[in-house]
Parts: sequence; C-alpha cells; structure tokens
Amino acid sequence: MTRSPLIELLRYAAILLAVAITLVPILWMVSIAFKPVAEWQAAGADLTWIPRDPTLENFRYLFGRSDSALIVALERTATRPILASILAASFGTLIAMTAGTAAAYGLSRFGAGANLPLALIQLRLFPPMAVMIPVMIMWAFLSLMDTWWGLALIYGIVTLPFAFWLMKTFFDDMPREIEEAALVEGCTRLRVFLKVTLPMMRAPLASATLFVFILNWSDYLVALLLTTRQWATIPVYMASLSSSMTGQLYGAKAALGLIAAVPPVILGILIQRHLVRGLTFGALKQ
Amino acid sequence: MAEIAFVNVTKRYGNTVAVDGASFTVADNEFFCLFGPPLCGKTTILRLILGLETPDSGEILIDDRPVTHVGPAERNIAMVFQNLALFPHMTAEQNIRFPLVERRVPEARIRERLAHAAAKLHIGHILHKHPAQLSGGERQRVAIARALVRDPIAFLMDDPISALDARLREEARVELKRLQREAGRTLIYVTHDQEEAMSVADRMAILDHGRIRQIGAPVALYDRPNSAYVAQLLGSPPINLLPPGLLPGARADAVQVGIRPEDVEVRPGAGARVTGVEPLGGYTVLTIEAQGASLRAMLRGQPAYAPGQSIAIGAAPERMHFFGPEGERLAS
Ligand SMILES: Nc1ncnc2c1ncn2[C@@H]1O[C@H](COP(=O)(O)OP(=O)(O)OP(=O)(O)O)[C@@H](O)[C@H]1O
Ligand SMILES: [Mg+2]
Repeated sequence: MTRSPLIELLRYAAILLAVAITLVPILWMVSIAFKPVAEWQAAGADLTWIPRDPTLENFRYLFGRSDSALIVALERTATRPILASILAASFGTLIAMTAGTAAAYGLSRFGAGANLPLALIQLRLFPPMAVMIPVMIMWAFLSLMDTWWGLALIYGIVTLPFAFWLMKTFFDDMPREIEEAALVEGCTRLRVFLKVTLPMMRAPLASATLFVFILNWSDYLVALLLTTRQWATIPVYMASLSSSMTGQLYGAKAALGLIAAVPPVILGILIQRHLVRGLTFGALKQ
Repeated sequence: MAEIAFVNVTKRYGNTVAVDGASFTVADNEFFCLFGPPLCGKTTILRLILGLETPDSGEILIDDRPVTHVGPAERNIAMVFQNLALFPHMTAEQNIRFPLVERRVPEARIRERLAHAAAKLHIGHILHKHPAQLSGGERQRVAIARALVRDPIAFLMDDPISALDARLREEARVELKRLQREAGRTLIYVTHDQEEAMSVADRMAILDHGRIRQIGAPVALYDRPNSAYVAQLLGSPPINLLPPGLLPGARADAVQVGIRPEDVEVRPGAGARVTGVEPLGGYTVLTIEAQGASLRAMLRGQPAYAPGQSIAIGAAPERMHFFGPEGERLAS
C-alpha cells in the first residue's frame, strides 16, 4: 500500500510535533543546567539554546562548592535530598514489589484472598491525597514523620496496587503446567517458586519494578506532606531552591532536574535486556 | 513394579464432571492407552494419578496403597505434559538434568543418565539450546527425555507426539513402544489418534464425557465393541451404522447395524449406487448410496467401479454388529 505524499507529509509533521512537545522542555532544562547565572537569570534573559559560556557552576552550587559572588550560598546542599529520594523510592519499590508479587502469586495460583483485587482497586479509586491528613497523624504518632523509612512505607502502600495488578496478569498468563512439571519432578512449592517461577518472571518483574520505581521517584505531594528538613526528597528540595535576592534559582533547579533523571534512565538501561524477552516463548508446543 | 488402580473415581470442576465414576486397573509394565474425543477427561485422569488433582470421591491405588495423601513429588511418576511444559529459562540439558538435580543424585550419575537419555532420543546435538530455539519435534524429544532420565515407577504421556507430522509420528510411536519395553515400566498414554492408540497399546480405555465405556486389547475392542459409540471411534474409515433393513441377514430387533468398510461386499447388481471412488493405492474406498443411506466400502486393489455405477451390497452376518436403542451391543 502506498500512501499519498500529502498524508505522508502530515504524518511526519505530526510525529515531529509529538517529539518536539516531549523533547523541548527536557532540552531547555539541559541547556539551562549548563548556563552561568548571568545567562539564566530573568534579568539577563536573552534566550539561547546553546549556552554562550557553558559551565558546571550550577552543579557545584548544588553541592556547596560554588565560589560565585552573584548568589548566596545554599543553606542545605542537594546531597541529602538525593539520598532521601534514592532510599525512599528504592525501599518503597521493594515493599510494593515484594508484597504485590507475593499477593499476586497467591491469588493467581491458589485463589487465596479472592476479594483482594477489588480492595486494591478501591485503594486507587480516590487520589492518595484524600487520605494524607489521617496518614500524617498516624505517621506522627508512629514517629515516621520526616524519615525516609516512613516515606518508603507509604510509597510501598500507594504503589502496591500497581505492582499487584501488573504481576497478577503475568502470573495468570503463565501456564500452570510448567510449575506442575517441577512439582512432579521433586520440587517443593517454595523451590518451584524460586527455581522456576521467579526466573521465568524476570522480564515482567523488571518492567513492573521500573514502572513502580518511576512512580515513587517522581512523587512530590506525599513527600511534601510527610517530610520537612531532614529527609526532604529531590522534588521537595527543588521547590525550596530560591532566594530572596535572585528569586527562583533556575540554574540550580535545572541541574538538579538533570541529576534526578539519571537513576530512572540507568535503571531502564539495566533492565532493558529483560524487557524485550518473551515470557514463555518456546516452553510450549507450536 | 507399579500397578495403578482407579476405584470409582469422580472429579468435578464446578458443573462439569471431568471424570465420572471411573474404575480400571493398569497392570505393572503395561502400555495402557486412554483414548477419546477432546474434553472427555483424559488429561484429568493423568493429573489425578500424578496427585495434581484430588478426586471428589473414589480412591486411587498405586500398588494397592491409597495415595490420597501422597504429594506429587513422592509418587515418583514421570509426566510428559500435553503442552510439554519445558522450563523456558533453561537449556535442553538443564531441563533434562532438573529431575535428577532436584533429587540430589550425584553428579557422575547425572552425567551417565543424561548421556543415556540423550542417546536414546537422539538429541545429543541440541542439548545446549533453549526450548525457544528448538523445533516442535525436538521439544517433544526433550520433554520425553526429561521424563525418561530418572527411573520412576510409571510414565504418563499426554499426547506427546502430536506436534509431529504423520510419517514422523509413525516412527515415533514405534520408538516409544520400544522405549517402554526397555524401561520395563508402566506407561499410561493419552492420544486422540485411534490408529496410534491401536498400534501401541497393550490395552486401551475408551472415554466418553468422563465415563469409561470399554476397556480391553485394541483388537478385542475393534472386533467386539460394546456400543455404537466405541465402534465409531475405532477404525478408519469409520464403521457404517445402518438401519437394519438395508443389509440382508441383519437381525430384525436391532436398531442399528454396524458393518466395517472392509466387511462390506460389493458386486455388480442393483439396489445401490456408487457415488464416490477414492483410490488409495493398495485399496479403494467407495462411497455408496443405498435406500437413502450412505455407507463406505473398502476394497482391495485398484478401483473396479466408477461413480454412478449400479451395484449390489451385502455382508456376512457374523461380521455385522447389532446395536439396541441405547447404542448398546445386543447379546448374540
Ligand atoms: N482446571 C479446570 N477447571 C475447570 N474445568 C476443567 C479444568 N480442567 C479440565 N476441565 C474440564 O474437564 C473436562 C475434561 O478435561 P480434560 O482436560 O481432562 O480433557 P481431555 O480429554 O484431556 O481433552 P483434550 O483432548 O482436549 O486434551 C473438560 O470439560 C474441561 O473443560
Ligand atoms: Mg488433554
């Protein structure tokens, strides 16, 4: 089938537009991240894509290594927020994936907790914000306010339904005979799970983990309510990057944004190999 | 030794009765075939023997001991699943080793058994490949090797060679029969191919909606089916079931008269007409119309009749099967 050139042209225009909408803000962020104060400050704004005087000053500034006289040194460096984000998002993902996978497996294989799926959907029916006030009170009681583990716990709870639903569909799609073959060949249930099910589930586990991690990593509102100074995460900290003298510190924000994009990208690259693998291809007839 | 017995076993899934009051005994060292149309409960019977399902009522005995509370791993029975169920993340070799590794067999012994199984099934050259890289026939061989590699008390095979084409299947079934003799173990074999069942089985059971209709040696079932249902399932082309008046010499009290195509006698004459001729080399299959009924006859040699030709048909009364109103065989 050959399309008319006009349609072809429109198609490419549409694709170009979509790519631009996606990429322009990111590229703009990259550009600002490497601009010196004078270039990103609103006062000195003449918009250029390529910094005229590229510098790592913004990054140095974030970590308290800046010697610029133009802006006031930061009260808190970005080190701790980065650590907070990594800890809260990683452990939140760990909690959601462990509990979600276990629940999904139990339900898919043994029909245990048949009402669970509905209960978990219900958890997604209202925005997490709706319950954050009670959670704040509870967390205060439990001394979980402004701790990374308190944040990780709520992240794990909020993303649990995603982990559960993703893994449940994958477990449902896995033919039960493969596990049964291992059972017949002398495995205990636990060994079947560890030696057959989990290795076969590498690809689904990898993609679900990435998905859940990105959800946790990009949270702003929950962290804003549950952390203050000690364990503020990157997005919370980023919002505080301003000074009375210069207003919003766009350079530092862009630099931090760039740093924040690194972990998901690394994670994505690490598990990409598993994402393309088919699930049970070759295990069965045909 | 392994003698496997079902005593009045029933298994339901919700409203479907997958196995309905089945009783049979598979003798030690026997090649026993389960045969029947799709969804008649063949796989379910194997799953019950393995311990993957528990019967709703009745009892399963292995060597005269009830196995209700024995788990699948302890029953020491090997299975080739209908969909093969190879482990996709392991190579063929790892798949075959798996049963031995799980049973903590020493490495030297594993090597020996692996080489033995690989040689028997001619898969030495593909051991390093993953299931995804194997052809359908190779996968089936790997699955059979995984079952053969250890020394279970019995083998269960659920339509293991169905992915092969007709010619390879013929070779494979001869080979399977030989493997079973050499292993000296009970083999319960499921197939939906009547020719395959008849050619390999010592005895076979014919299933119908979870019920066992008849058990016996293939030739006995072929010659004396206890019902029209069993008669129809065995033989190709299938048996002709005709109204009683059509063939001279048929019993008057029969509702249906069964006559196998090879037992139909054809000669030039009147009363019937040839409507189709299929020359199949060694023999010829005629489709015949007689008094509104259609039947088929199988004759030796090249076609001697042409479509449209008028003929007379008959059959020796002792070759006829007489069935009553419920399809049951009438006592002679
Ligand atoms: N896990 C299950 N849940 C519900 N119904 C089932 C289940 N397994 C089998 N059945 C039903 O039990 C009946 C027998 O199924 P079974 O798989 O034993 O048939 P089969 O003879 O092996 O068929 P096939 O020749 O297609 O393999 C069918 O009606 C099937 O739908
Ligand atoms: Mg089946």
